Amino acid sequence: MAIIQTGVSEKLVAPWAEWAERYREGRRLLEAGTYALTEGAIAAGCRVFAGYPITPATDIAEYMSKRLPQVGGYYMQAEDELAGMHMCAGASLGGLKAMTATSGPGYTLMHDAYGWAITNEIPLVVVDAMRVGPISGITGAPGQGEFYVARYCSHGGNIETIVLSPNSVQESFWLTIDAFNLAERFRTVVTILTDQVISDMFEDLFLPRDYAELGGIVVPRRHNLTMPFYPLNSDAIDVPPNIVGKGTGICVSAYTHTEEGYDIEAMEAQWAQTYRLVNKIRHHREEILRYEAVGLEDAEVIAVAYGAASRTVKTGVLEARRRGVKAGFLRLISLWPFADELFERDARYLVCELNYDGQLVREVMRAAPDKRKVHFMGKSGELHTVAEVATALEGVARRGSIPELPYIWTEVR
Amino acid sequence: MAGTETKEAPAKTRTEILISGFGGQGVIRMGQILGLCAINQGHRVTMLKSHGTETRGGYVRAQLVISPEYVDSPVVENADVFVAFSAPAYKRFHELCRGKILYDPEMVEEVRSDVPGRHVEVPATALAKERLGNVLFANMIMLGALTRLAGMDFEAMKRAMLAVIPRFHEENLKALDLGYQLDAVARRA
Repeated sequence: MAIIQTGVSEKLVAPWAEWAERYREGRRLLEAGTYALTEGAIAAGCRVFAGYPITPATDIAEYMSKRLPQVGGYYMQAEDELAGMHMCAGASLGGLKAMTATSGPGYTLMHDAYGWAITNEIPLVVVDAMRVGPISGITGAPGQGEFYVARYCSHGGNIETIVLSPNSVQESFWLTIDAFNLAERFRTVVTILTDQVISDMFEDLFLPRDYAELGGIVVPRRHNLTMPFYPLNSDAIDVPPNIVGKGTGICVSAYTHTEEGYDIEAMEAQWAQTYRLVNKIRHHREEILRYEAVGLEDAEVIAVAYGAASRTVKTGVLEARRRGVKAGFLRLISLWPFADELFERDARYLVCELNYDGQLVREVMRAAPDKRKVHFMGKSGELHTVAEVATALEGVARRGSIPELPYIWTEVR
Repeated sequence: MAGTETKEAPAKTRTEILISGFGGQGVIRMGQILGLCAINQGHRVTMLKSHGTETRGGYVRAQLVISPEYVDSPVVENADVFVAFSAPAYKRFHELCRGKILYDPEMVEEVRSDVPGRHVEVPATALAKERLGNVLFANMIMLGALTRLAGMDFEAMKRAMLAVIPRFHEENLKALDLGYQLDAVARRA
């Protein structure tokens, strides 16, 4: 908890709130989000990167190609995104932590690999630096179009997913370490949903002196060499990841499988596998929940955002408070599983997103007590301005609606 | 009431700097050095960079926010300083600026006449060609001028430049000095 200038409470619920206190010795740089993400991965013990370049994620591949050889790791320029993610899955099955990075147009190509990695409980980190769409959109403009795609990143249903989203260069560093930790602990793919602003932006970045000293916060790779490889009907986490190629006899299949991983067409196995894939995440939601909140205690209208959008939205909330509006701010860091518990207050919600179709707002409408009090403020291709957010909050608080603003969409249905 | 408050509220803790020109002029480099210098002096910094897909010739903009506190909004909505390296950049952004406007007269031939006191002519491109034999150094001449006008520590700026730029240190130091010592700049600092 920290108190900011306006005197409202500010709360960050994330492991790095404490990590940042613990590590004070290091360097202060002016660097981009892509740089911070790369360093976070290296610090977390990532030793394999395979991917295909795309703006605004190209710099991650470029930094990785330089950094990985320095730490005994491997960099592979793949022929496409699908191959890149499969290579990463293979590397992880071989016992190394791995990551790939892309943007929306490449992200959609990864769905097959996603399903395979999630079903076979392969720890991986995938970065999607979102740019505005549809399809290839504008390369140098931010978007938030993959909120649902990241949740439903594979066909066939019967899965839960973990998705995290940073909103600063510094947070990109800590959150990437956290993403690797969750991938190891839950034996699944953790998606980092960042965007063009946060990945391209330069910002002051603190890097700890020696990554070897981060041992206390990094979850190391462990190796499971014995049965059961897939603890069916179990929601246990912290199960060591499986390794192939050590005479274990494990099978890694796309089909419904047995505890050894062999294909089986039996409903008991189907139910047992689904139980595990869904509930190992659902039953440990509190281990995944990360968010930032400002002034919720007395808030009559709560602005909700994530990623780049949250930067101007937060300043807009503080500006609205200066204008006498009882406004609060809620920034989701863990996007999935969705944090229903944060929307129990019977307040008005103003959901600010970088898209016109409205994605996050639909989940807030579902989770909030009264969906008629959930308002949508969509912008496409650029950040909301502070003035726009403050004006919208004023309108919602005083008249129950957002005043007409150019290039702002408010329709959801 | 609302309009003016929004404009004035951020000024208390933050300084907003906008630099814009064509690709290849070193706009982003200039911002990087400026930002690193501020970080080295204990400030928090954000820099948004936007550009076209071209390596050279497209439009480029760097938006810097410098503050003793963590910067929430990285967007420059009311620039305290605006550096214009091209006529289109000047046209597009000069109204966002309420402080000093530094412009290169070789690129920006016409400026608003109603606010002459805020405009500072920095012949960076011409000086770079004449004195250093290469237009590439224009951005460092401009940065030297900006350092003086903004009252920043010149020695700290030199150190930041040396840390960011890998080559041509001697020429770049000379360029910084040329901008810093300009009469037009010294009079306005």
